[in-house]
Amino acid sequence: MADAPDPDAADGPANTAGEAAAEATNATPGRAGSAAHTRASTVLPTRSPVLVWAALGVALFVPEAGALLDFVVGLLADTAIASPAPGPLASVKPAVVSALEGVESAVASVPTLLSRETIPNGGYWNGQRWVDTFMGLSPPRAWGLRVTLVYAYAFAWAGWAILGYRLYRREIRTVAWTPRDDVVDRFRGHTWGKFGLVVVFMFVVMAVFAPALGPTTVEENMRNSYSYEMNYWDQETKSVETTLIGEANLGSQSTGTNQRVMPFSYDDYGRYHPFGTLPTGRDLFTFITAGSRISLVIGLLSVGLSALMAASLALTSAYYKGKVDLASVLLSDAIMAMPQLLLLIMLTTVLADTWIGGIYSGAFVLALIFAFTGWTYMWRALRGPALQVAERQWVDAARSFGQRPSTVMRKHMLPYITGYLLIYGSMTLGGAIIAIAGLSFLGLGVAPPTPEWGRAINLGQDYVTTGSWHISLIPGILITIVVTGFNALGDGIRDAIDPQSDSAGGTAGRGGGA
Amino acid sequence: MSGDASGGTDVDAPEDSLLRVENLRTVFHTEREEIHAVDGVSFEVDEGETVGLVGESGSGKSVTARSILGLVEEPGRIEDGAIYYRGEDLTDDNWEAHRGDIAIVFQDPGGALNPVYTVGNQIREALRIHQDLRGSRARDRAVSLLEEVGIPDARRRVDEYPHQLSGGMQQRAVIAMALACDPDLLVCDEPTTALDVTIQAQILDLLADLQREEDLAILFITHDMGVIEDATDRVNVIYAGEVVERAPTRELFENPQHPYTRALLDSIPGRTPPDEQLPTIEGEVPTPTGPATDCRFAPRCPAAVDACRTVHPEHYAVGAEGTDRTAACLLHGDAHHHSFEEALADPESLGRHGRAQDWESRADGRGRSESRADRQEPNGSRADGGDRR
Repeated sequence: MADAPDPDAADGPANTAGEAAAEATNATPGRAGSAAHTRASTVLPTRSPVLVWAALGVALFVPEAGALLDFVVGLLADTAIASPAPGPLASVKPAVVSALEGVESAVASVPTLLSRETIPNGGYWNGQRWVDTFMGLSPPRAWGLRVTLVYAYAFAWAGWAILGYRLYRREIRTVAWTPRDDVVDRFRGHTWGKFGLVVVFMFVVMAVFAPALGPTTVEENMRNSYSYEMNYWDQETKSVETTLIGEANLGSQSTGTNQRVMPFSYDDYGRYHPFGTLPTGRDLFTFITAGSRISLVIGLLSVGLSALMAASLALTSAYYKGKVDLASVLLSDAIMAMPQLLLLIMLTTVLADTWIGGIYSGAFVLALIFAFTGWTYMWRALRGPALQVAERQWVDAARSFGQRPSTVMRKHMLPYITGYLLIYGSMTLGGAIIAIAGLSFLGLGVAPPTPEWGRAINLGQDYVTTGSWHISLIPGILITIVVTGFNALGDGIRDAIDPQSDSAGGTAGRGGGA
Repeated sequence: MSGDASGGTDVDAPEDSLLRVENLRTVFHTEREEIHAVDGVSFEVDEGETVGLVGESGSGKSVTARSILGLVEEPGRIEDGAIYYRGEDLTDDNWEAHRGDIAIVFQDPGGALNPVYTVGNQIREALRIHQDLRGSRARDRAVSLLEEVGIPDARRRVDEYPHQLSGGMQQRAVIAMALACDPDLLVCDEPTTALDVTIQAQILDLLADLQREEDLAILFITHDMGVIEDATDRVNVIYAGEVVERAPTRELFENPQHPYTRALLDSIPGRTPPDEQLPTIEGEVPTPTGPATDCRFAPRCPAAVDACRTVHPEHYAVGAEGTDRTAACLLHGDAHHHSFEEALADPESLGRHGRAQDWESRADGRGRSESRADRQEPNGSRADGGDRR
């Protein structure tokens, strides 16, 4: 074990910028470890690697503990408000909600490193210097610092996870090799798949840290822009003036060639817009980050639900075969025969005014609809592999000694279709993101003013031929990149799982396309 | 005289035998046809005894094994017959109640072990169900089971994955897994076929030892006559879903009574003089797609007569009085006229003497309904079969 070759050394030069970042974070401990062969651990240069690894995890967690608490309490409070309180619970509900809100405000005071309060970028020029920004930096620098820190932090976690895996694989577990190792090794040699992983990871980070990434917030800039004031440097009077954000937005609209705020520029009120502004004068980057969160939530929820349905049905029908199989084929065929888009439009309209339609601006019901109309495709893809594994003799062996059907399915069959679940889950997620954007583009789905990428494209479509082309183009490019990333990840997983495409260390799988 | 000659005592006392399969019919309903994979098989296994089930590929051996364990899957179905375990009919959906009493060892040891779990993990799974052992006690028991089946260094091996074991070791681990259920009957479905000869012998020795130590009954399914000779006490020869001959092993090898058995024995390499070409059986096992109306071996049988193509032979007692020997061949229905050797020498003799009509009329006289009812009886021995001998 002690002289295991450093796997990083085998990799060629890093291929993409994102990957380079990923490599940079995880390579440092790995390289340091291999340089110290004589030490106790090859992964971490210390005598108690697990302890150090755990300490690193705690150290990474502490700066953001406040954010996590805030999120959990906020989620509980939102659930309490949104959920219907039947009968006897109705009287308790207000008390619970107010108690939770009390906790929420208490938790909000826990300091968090990567928050806009710690590194503020919204300030104003008072004639000599920037006021209220982080250390008096200009708004783009303060914002850029925060974004860089957020991503560095996220990649540090990724590196920590990779480090933990290596530690486990090389030193903690007693077995030298398991079949899963080959899967991981094949994925390591799959450049296209790694590109996908990095894109997906960055998208997820954007969604998770959405409030910290935007130059401003959805609440201030969009929902209640007339309830917040801001200071700005008036060029004509040469003095600091105060105005409502809503008014400022009206002066920063992008509605053509002459009146526009382009990406990476200031508006007339000294606000910095990394992606420019929307036709309403709102900040596009904030809109995008908030939109990524809702896309990811809908995507994950719908794909998770359809994966659950598809997997349980595939396993059941493969295990029992015959009539059960036939019934599920008929059921899925019936669902597939319905025009999905019309069904989506109808259900979103019908359910729009019900309590379930109100949860998370309609995102929840959208996820449910996607799940119930989309599981059939995943089930089709899983059925074959499930039928195959059901024929394996260890399934019969388990049945012969009286293992319960559910346990046989879970323990002896599910591991063989999880790979397919990952592949199709990843690819369906990309599809779900497109579908959500498509619905928003049509004015359906997620209710305004909750940001959604498709709506940004819709809002900008009148100005595509004018100087304000950025409104539609930027979210369009982002959707393309993210969906490509999900598909690339799916490809990578597929090739990693398939032993026939043995590209570990070879060149066959490298740079392979979809 | 009645069917006593072929073990009729079991009819009166079914609880005597550990496993009694009666007229088992397992049919697979495919879109094009019905396949009668097992078509009226009857045999029994007593406590502590090793019974062989031998036949070519496709003769229905494995489906019989799967039927006994209740592992027949769609589109297959047990349509008729009964499988008595200690007098209780398993086909009345009693399998779950007797899980673990009958354990199976499959042909391909690599396939019977799930590659993603360690050997110990899989043995513990069975131990948990059947002996309610968990944690370190289950682990200790798994180690001792592995030692029992002759795996050296069991304490280390218990944490290894199947791919880390050789084929012979894998089969030992599978046997350990079966033993973890604490069975009374071990169904071995070609347990040595996938192994090379030296390992085969080791596994056979192991099974014999286990049988002695644990008082196991073993149903040994194989196509290998050599293995049958080494390992079993009694044999059932199965052909196209039917048992065609049953006999104590030694008697079967000394004096086969069914042409198929004889052909099987003739194709064992050691039994033919070295300078002669090894005889083979021409053709292949037919797939039975309907109820039998003829002798299914007739197309390949060197001793076949016209009657063989129109009459489905019943089991006739062929051994000495009181021994449990039967064969399903018309030769024995009319054996006082024609010995097996005579029939082989002059296959046309029966037909020329007009006995085909004789056979046909007798079959008609008995009537289908009567014969069906009779066949429900174990071993299906015909009264007149005994008469004529």
